[in-house]
Amino acid sequence: MYDKEKVLEMEVCACGAKNVAQAIEIFGDTALPFKKAKKLVTECNKSCCRGVLMKLFDMNQYGRFDYDEIAYLIEQRAERIKRLGMGDEDE
Amino acid sequence: MNKSEQELKDWLLWHNCIDENIDSLANIVRLDLSGKKIEELPENFGLLCNLIVLNLANNRLRVFPDSLKELSKLTNIDMRRNSFEQLPSVLQYMPLRSINASANRLSDVFILQKCLHVRVLDLSGNLLKSLDNSLDEENEIRTLNLSSNLLHDMKTVFPLLKNVERLNLSENLLKVIPSTVGELLSLEEINLSYNEIEMIDSAFFDLDLVEVDLSSNQLRNLHLSSLIELEKIVLDENPFEKLDVDFSFAPYLRALSCDGCGLKEFLLPQSEEIELLCYSENEITALPKEIERYTKLKELDIDENRIVDLPDSLANLTYLEILYVNGNPLSMEAKKVITILDPEICDLNMKTGITIEKAAKNDLPEMAQLLSVLFAIESDFTIDYSKQLSGITRLFLHESSDLLVAKYEEKVVGMVTMQRLISSAEGDYVGQIEDLVVCEEYRKMGVGSRLINKMRSMAIDYGYKRIQLAADVDNANALAFYSRRGFKKTHLNIYHYVV
Repeated sequence: MYDKEKVLEMEVCACGAKNVAQAIEIFGDTALPFKKAKKLVTECNKSCCRGVLMKLFDMNQYGRFDYDEIAYLIEQRAERIKRLGMGDEDE
Repeated sequence: MNKSEQELKDWLLWHNCIDENIDSLANIVRLDLSGKKIEELPENFGLLCNLIVLNLANNRLRVFPDSLKELSKLTNIDMRRNSFEQLPSVLQYMPLRSINASANRLSDVFILQKCLHVRVLDLSGNLLKSLDNSLDEENEIRTLNLSSNLLHDMKTVFPLLKNVERLNLSENLLKVIPSTVGELLSLEEINLSYNEIEMIDSAFFDLDLVEVDLSSNQLRNLHLSSLIELEKIVLDENPFEKLDVDFSFAPYLRALSCDGCGLKEFLLPQSEEIELLCYSENEITALPKEIERYTKLKELDIDENRIVDLPDSLANLTYLEILYVNGNPLSMEAKKVITILDPEICDLNMKTGITIEKAAKNDLPEMAQLLSVLFAIESDFTIDYSKQLSGITRLFLHESSDLLVAKYEEKVVGMVTMQRLISSAEGDYVGQIEDLVVCEEYRKMGVGSRLINKMRSMAIDYGYKRIQLAADVDNANALAFYSRRGFKKTHLNIYHYVV
C-alpha cells in the first residue's frame, strides 16, 4: 500500500514538471477531452506519461482515485524508460 | 476433510477469501486472492480441483506449484502484476480460455504453444522481445493484447493469428508492418500506436478492419485505400510528408483523426457517414466548402491551425455538437458562422480557472439569484428571490445535503444540490439531485458536466445506491444533457399537492 500523500507528490510528467496532485487539479478544472486536457499537464506532444495521465483522467471523471494503481503505473513507466534508454531492447 | 485439505482451507481463511462454513474445497469454483502480497501458493493448491475462475492479481508470485496441474476445470486465470519471468508450464494442463498475465516480467511465453484453447490473452506490460515459436498454428486466440513490450518484428507471428479479432500492439518497437499482416483474416481492430512504424505493406489495406490506430509512429508517406469495412482510423502525430485518400477508401468511415500530422490541406474522405473529424495542430489554412457533405458530422476539431475563414456551409451541419477551433486566427465572419451553428460545446470562448467547490455561506445569495434562471425555464415554478434564498439556506444548513458551486473569479457561475433520501426500493440511501444551473454566458464550457461528475463522485463516496433527478419535460437541453451523461428516463411521473 502506498501512502496517499506520497503518491500525490510523485512526479507524473517530467516535461511539464507536474506532480500527481497538480495533474488531478488540472483535470478537475477542465471539461476538455483527454487528448487536450493531457497537453495542459504536459505542455508537449510526447507520449511518455500518457498511460498514467489517461488513468488519472479517467479516475477524475469517475471521482475515485486508486493511488496504488497510480504509483504502480508511474514506477512501471520509469522502469520502461530506463530499460529502453539502456538499449535493453536490442537483441 | 483430511489434514491436507484442512491446511489449505486454513490458508484460504487466513487470506480471507473463502467463507468459514465451506465444508468441502470441491465446492469452491471461484477464488479471489488478488492483492494479498502472496509470494508462493501452497504445494497442495491443486486440491481446489473444481476451480473455474482464479484471480491471483497483484501479488508477488514467480512460480506455480506443480499441483496446479490438477485444476482441470480452470478456464480463467488472472495473474497480472506478479513477478513471473516465464509463463508457468502447468498452464498447459488447464482448459484455459482466458489468461491475463499483464505487468509481469515475462520474456518467455513458449508454453503458450500448448495452451491451444485460450481465446483471450493479455501479455501487455512485459519484456517480450519476440513471440517466435510461442504459438501453435491451431491456437484459438480471438483477443490478444501485446502492448507495452519490446517487440521488433511480427513477420512470423501474424500468420499464426488467423482467428484474432482484436490485436493491441501499441508501445512496442515495430518499424515495419510486413506483408504477412494480410494473413490476419479475422482481424477487426488493431492498435499499432506508439511504435516506430515507417512502412506498412499494401496487404494491410485489404483487411476487413473496422478500427485502426496508427498514431505516434514515423509514417511519412501513406496512401489510404480500400479498407472497405473501416469505421475509425487514428493517424495522429505522424510526420507525414504525403498523406492522401483514394476514392475507394473506407466507404463507411465514421471517424478520422489526423492531429499533429503537419498537414497543409484538409483531407476529404468519400464516406458520407463521417461523425468525427480531428485535424488539430496542423498547418491547414482553409476549411473546404465540401465539408457540408458530411451531414452526420457531430464533432469537428480544427484547433491550432492557420484558419482565418470558415465556409458558410458549416452552419448547415445541424448534427454538429462539438466544435474545437481555438488557436486559429479566425475572422469576425468566421465567428459569426460559429454563432449561427451554435454547437453544444465550443472551446472558442472556454474560460480556464472555473473551479468546482463546496458552497460557502456567503455564496447563498448568488445561488438564490441563479435559481431564478432555472425557474424561468421550468414552468412548474415561479421566481421569488426570498423563497429561493430561504430554501437554499435551509439546504445549506441541513446536514444531509450537499451544495456545489462553479466559480469564476470569485463569482458563482453554476450550482447543483443533492439531498439524501431513503429508498425503500433500494433499501438504502439515494441522492436527489436538484437545482443544476449554469449562467448563460458560462454554458457550452462543460461546467454542468463537471458539477454532475463531482456530485456523482460524492454520492459514490457516501455509498448512495443511486442518484436521481427530475427535469422539466419542456427543457429539451436538460433532457438531452442528462441522457448523454448516462441518466435513464424512468416510467414515473411526478405529482405534487399544495398544502
